[in-house]
Amino acid sequence: MLDHCSISHKGGVVLWSRSFTPEAEQLASTAASPVNSLVREALIEGRTTEEKYEKDGYALKWTFLNEFELIFVVAYQRILQLTYVDDLLSAMKNLFVQCYQPVLAAFVASIHNVSTTLTVQAASFDFKQSFKTWDAYFDKLLKGLESQAALDRKSRLRSTVRPAVVAATPPSESDNAPALNPESTTDEQQIALNVQALKNRLKGRGGRRGGKVGRVGSGRDSNTESDSDVQPKRKAKAKTQRKWGDEVPTEADMATLDFSMDKPDSGSENIGSVDVQSLVDQTSLGTRTNDGMYEVRDWDFSKEKDGADDAIANALKPLDSKVSSSEGTLGTLGSIFARLTGSKVLTDADLKPVLEAMKQHLMKKNVAMEISDKVCEGVGESLVGKKVGSFQSINNAVRVALSTSLTRILTPKTSTDLLLSIRTKLSAPLASNQQRTPYSIAFVGVNGVGKSTNLSKVCFWLIQNGLRVLIAACDTFRSGAVEQLRVHVRNLSMLGINGAGDSKGRVELFERGYGKDAAGIAREAINYGRDHDFDVVLIDTAGRMQDNEPLMRALAKLVSVNNPDRIIFVGEALVGNEAVDQLTKFDRALRDFSSASGTGRGRGIDGMLITKWDTVDDKVGAALSMTYVTGQPIFFLGCGQTYTDLRQLRVSNVVQAILKN
Amino acid sequence: MNAMTDIPSQGSEGPEVIPVTAMFNPQIMMAGSALVALLLISFIFLLTRRRTSSKGTALLLVGPPDAGKTSVMSQTAFGQPWQTQTSMQINMSAVTLSPKKMFPVIDIPGHPRLRGQFTEHLPSSKAVAFVVDSSTISRNAAAVAEHLHLVLHALTSLPPSQHQPALLILAHKSDLLKATASSQNTHTLAINRVKTILERELEKRRASQSGGINIEGLGDEGESTELGGLQCGEKEGASFKFDEWEGGEIIFLGTSVLQNGSAKEGSSNGLESLQQWLQDNM
Ligand SMILES: Nc1nc2c(ncn2[C@@H]2O[C@H](COP(=O)(O)OP(=O)(O)OP(=O)(O)O)[C@@H](O)[C@H]2O)c(=O)[nH]1
Ligand SMILES: [Mg+2]
Repeated sequence: MLDHCSISHKGGVVLWSRSFTPEAEQLASTAASPVNSLVREALIEGRTTEEKYEKDGYALKWTFLNEFELIFVVAYQRILQLTYVDDLLSAMKNLFVQCYQPVLAAFVASIHNVSTTLTVQAASFDFKQSFKTWDAYFDKLLKGLESQAALDRKSRLRSTVRPAVVAATPPSESDNAPALNPESTTDEQQIALNVQALKNRLKGRGGRRGGKVGRVGSGRDSNTESDSDVQPKRKAKAKTQRKWGDEVPTEADMATLDFSMDKPDSGSENIGSVDVQSLVDQTSLGTRTNDGMYEVRDWDFSKEKDGADDAIANALKPLDSKVSSSEGTLGTLGSIFARLTGSKVLTDADLKPVLEAMKQHLMKKNVAMEISDKVCEGVGESLVGKKVGSFQSINNAVRVALSTSLTRILTPKTSTDLLLSIRTKLSAPLASNQQRTPYSIAFVGVNGVGKSTNLSKVCFWLIQNGLRVLIAACDTFRSGAVEQLRVHVRNLSMLGINGAGDSKGRVELFERGYGKDAAGIAREAINYGRDHDFDVVLIDTAGRMQDNEPLMRALAKLVSVNNPDRIIFVGEALVGNEAVDQLTKFDRALRDFSSASGTGRGRGIDGMLITKWDTVDDKVGAALSMTYVTGQPIFFLGCGQTYTDLRQLRVSNVVQAILKN
Repeated sequence: MNAMTDIPSQGSEGPEVIPVTAMFNPQIMMAGSALVALLLISFIFLLTRRRTSSKGTALLLVGPPDAGKTSVMSQTAFGQPWQTQTSMQINMSAVTLSPKKMFPVIDIPGHPRLRGQFTEHLPSSKAVAFVVDSSTISRNAAAVAEHLHLVLHALTSLPPSQHQPALLILAHKSDLLKATASSQNTHTLAINRVKTILERELEKRRASQSGGINIEGLGDEGESTELGGLQCGEKEGASFKFDEWEGGEIIFLGTSVLQNGSAKEGSSNGLESLQQWLQDNM
């Protein structure tokens, strides 16, 4: 039922993988493999909080194990409704780390080999050898889950038909469950257990059937969430029977793999809790009681170093002191030891208050609420389970992770060099019967954000670079729009180019009055531009609200008819939560409606121009919201009233402004 | 216990106060010796850190996505052709050429949103290897050239006080090219191909820039964001040639990392040219 499954390190090394079909096998080794797409398009893009990624008919689910920087991925056919994938992922995660912790630790250490530890030369890692037992474990896991799912399905079916009878027919059920335990016996005790298991399953089903939401959470990071529902009995067992490396799994180990037998009282969460205790044991050691103390010390340390502009840390200071005062007692020697040797594993509970404060901070910077939420959640996800050095406070770790995340979101993934793109198109070789078409850029957006003004600034810049520009007045809606452009064109043609003379003939307005079809005017303008040797056509469109479907359709038509080289969304820096709605809807409308009209795949927004940048000071959150929503770069910033008030976004400056207090 | 309360606050600042001798409880002894060990380690760390920052030692692997950087790292550092996927974070490992000759190797992800991180590691690098997939170079020419341009710019804009690392361009995956003329081996073929295509693309970028006014250039106060690094030869505006690049010599090497099984016993592993170069220069 699965297509592909892999366990890999975030650095790119695949530790183990298996394909279940020849097609998946073939695809897996190419750059276009579903796993590679997942990493490129979802994980690196910071969309880790989404539940599922779909590509080429595959659905992929994943989970992180930050302690060892691992990603577990499962790929299956999108049309299948596999209910056990979340359970499989978390079970794999727990079991894998339990079995191979020493190898994993050594591997991760050797791939973070800083120059100083060179002497600890990487022992040769032979993954085939190290993980040779994993195939068998994995098979057992998968079989157990699959048969359990099948069983579930069957008994659910039956229970809806004849609910009363089900509990009375356990023997047939136990036949269906493959005996995974090699020593499994069918004595009375076993049967009794099965009866009990079945009852429990049926009891838990009510919640399970309806509660898809609850399941998602449990699959995602079981090592933090599920330690609440680990039974004390298993805790003791895990301590004494933890198994490392290549040792043959004992009967008890096998029993933990046997999912056909529900453990009493663990309910529907049973799989998430498998062996979680092994993670908890070695890392907790009472450090929790000392968090506060250790935080404060680190805070002082970092304050000195980072100076007053360390905003996040500042914003969080009250939180720290609160923690420390509530847990003021000194810890045991063990925890001092742990602190001195610098092992501290971040938990959800540690991170929660810090992330919450961070979210508030982002919102103060005018980042849309939804985006703040997602960004912080992503940062949290990348940190849970991670070890932080004793000299690094939680705040610091979070701040660094946030800064990295912001940089990543804001850094363009496509070239923003418009001039190069224009020149490349203009100088591309043509067939002899073909005429060179000008480079066209459409400016779209809601009303009153400054589309025409900033279009003129872009025009000025292009003229300065020696290009001939035609402006197409396709706002046939708002009265005065055409006149406004006419004034701009007059101004622009009187300004000198590079200081030499005037630029007459370098810029022209193409207008057809009001009320006509904008798509048609744009078409004519491009043709005119081609015939009169213009280099660039800038298309000004009417502002429209994102919810106005007829107008959005008209815009999509303009795009699909003319297929401009760039579609630039113009938005205000002042926009807050609205940014998300505007951009999502513009992007979606363009894609949906333009693909419906038959020109193949729909096209979305290629980039943004943010206006009124000068009015927001350091509340530059709109830049983050916009890039997060579209995944596209910001081409320009409009920052004033004159033609020269156009800027390019500097990622580092924006990140600084957002982090600043 | 009073003495113990002092440890945390002092431990973070300096190595001096270690009241181990005052306590004979084995647990305390353990904590104390751990502290000593920690201090020792951090001392060594600081010491070596200082030395490396003044003069780079590392091999920095950069280049477009899916070029084979992680594969080259796993082969040179671990001697294993591991299966790989798109990297999400930097890998740092060590290459041992001989017991005496050891240096770090740093593998930077090629994804456009992550590739910029290489600049942070330039100061600690002795050589930068730009890895190119020579089998797909013609398709990705523009994107690869943009990436290389970033690297060239970063190298030429290092402060003069800093040692400029050597630049290698690895025409990688040469095993995927079919040698046409019998006289040419695939490595030279890969090199020629990569060199010609990148030279052409970089020239396009240079020409588009020359005489252009970037957006920041419009305002008076804007500092330049112009990407430099494409100057060649004596005179301004000469077309781009790798051999005449302002930043110095660029070394081209043809390489490949053969996947499991395909390597013939005793024959080349595809990376000799790189290993030889590293042997001579690192
Ligand atoms: N045929 C062939 N394939 C190679 C060679 N080197 C690497 N590959 C394959 O190319 C693919 C990408 O290699 P990686 O090392 O992951 O590429 P990368 O440069 O690290 O890519 P990013 O991490 O995305 O930046 C893998 O499937 C490798 O198996 C080679 O010399 N020949
Ligand atoms: Mg890689």
